[in-house]
Amino acid sequence: MMPTPASSASPTRAPRVNRKVLVAGLVVVVPLIAILLLNLGRDPHSIRSPLIGRPAPPFSLAPVGGGSPISLESLRGRPVVVNFWATWCVPCFEEHAALVAAARTFKEAQFLGIVYEDDEARTKAFLAERGGAYPSLMDAEGKTAIAYGVFGVPETFFIDGQGRIVDKFVGPLSRGAIAELLGKAKGGAR
Amino acid sequence: MSRPSAAWVAVLAIASAAAAQDRPTRSGPPAALDAPRGTPLSGATLDARTEEVGSLLRCPVCQGLSVADSPSTMARNMKAEVREKLAAGYDQEQIIAHFERSYGEFVRLEPRMRGVNLLVWLGPLAVLLGGGAIVAWLLKRSRPPAESDQAAERAGAPFLPSRDALPDDARLAAAVRRVRELAYGWPGGIPPKPPATSP
Repeated sequence: MMPTPASSASPTRAPRVNRKVLVAGLVVVVPLIAILLLNLGRDPHSIRSPLIGRPAPPFSLAPVGGGSPISLESLRGRPVVVNFWATWCVPCFEEHAALVAAARTFKEAQFLGIVYEDDEARTKAFLAERGGAYPSLMDAEGKTAIAYGVFGVPETFFIDGQGRIVDKFVGPLSRGAIAELLGKAKGGAR
Repeated sequence: MSRPSAAWVAVLAIASAAAAQDRPTRSGPPAALDAPRGTPLSGATLDARTEEVGSLLRCPVCQGLSVADSPSTMARNMKAEVREKLAAGYDQEQIIAHFERSYGEFVRLEPRMRGVNLLVWLGPLAVLLGGGAIVAWLLKRSRPPAESDQAAERAGAPFLPSRDALPDDARLAAAVRRVRELAYGWPGGIPPKPPATSP
């Protein structure tokens, strides 16, 4: 006997795929795939800082190479650019020249570096070699970095004359970006 | 003004929940730490609580690791700060709110049960229940035919021929008897019991 049950059993049977099940499955799966594809290029860490528009967390830190601590409070009335950086961070190299040049151009603003997870001697050597136009402060226990919600370096905060954070920039700054964000900080001072 | 329909209310509720997520400053923690609400800890309790609170905080420089589990400098610094705050008498919620002020809700390893976060908490449960309901429905739907077959058999309508039944067709019946004789030595099927007493 030849086995031919499939063809003889139900010749008028509907195709194996159940339309309703297929549609229900697609309704669930297609939006999920769309969300995945739309967000593939996004960094899960690039979250808008909750600090923007709020008072900048205060700090009082000693500069690299010694000297009396510099506090944010003492700079009230001027826009402040706080740049978190480290000598082990390659993008920080790239923006260093732009920051130094901007600090020389925009004398009305105070530029500050805050050293993130780095050693003072290495930082001192780096600044001696590459030059600096503004103080870099040591944040030994990382408290200031935590207070500013730093995820990594470089990250730069633009603070207006009233001590409010106007904007935050993640990644290496260009001279154009510094000028633009500093303009915002100056506008906020009024 | 037209009466808002239920769909619009639902859309607005979802939109406002999403907006609340985008602006943590609105519903977020207060600007500064209040007075400590707990009791200052020390010794083994302090160590244990530091681990516990650290395990609720997300390490900002890691991928999905808690502050308690990460060996990074950042996590170590955050853990030291947790310890300091616990020793000063701040309670768990105050400490988490302190970090939330700088990192946003991201820093909570377990998102709060509110707004769109409810999807994360209740979504898996809803999917599990929905899937269970579908499976239960499918099982229920596929059972009745089997039950009716059994019922028909019980009612005396044989579903399968019994072993001593013969086909109606005379030629087939003869063939079956021959095969039975070859197999059992007896054309009636399995020999009548007891086989020892049969001649």
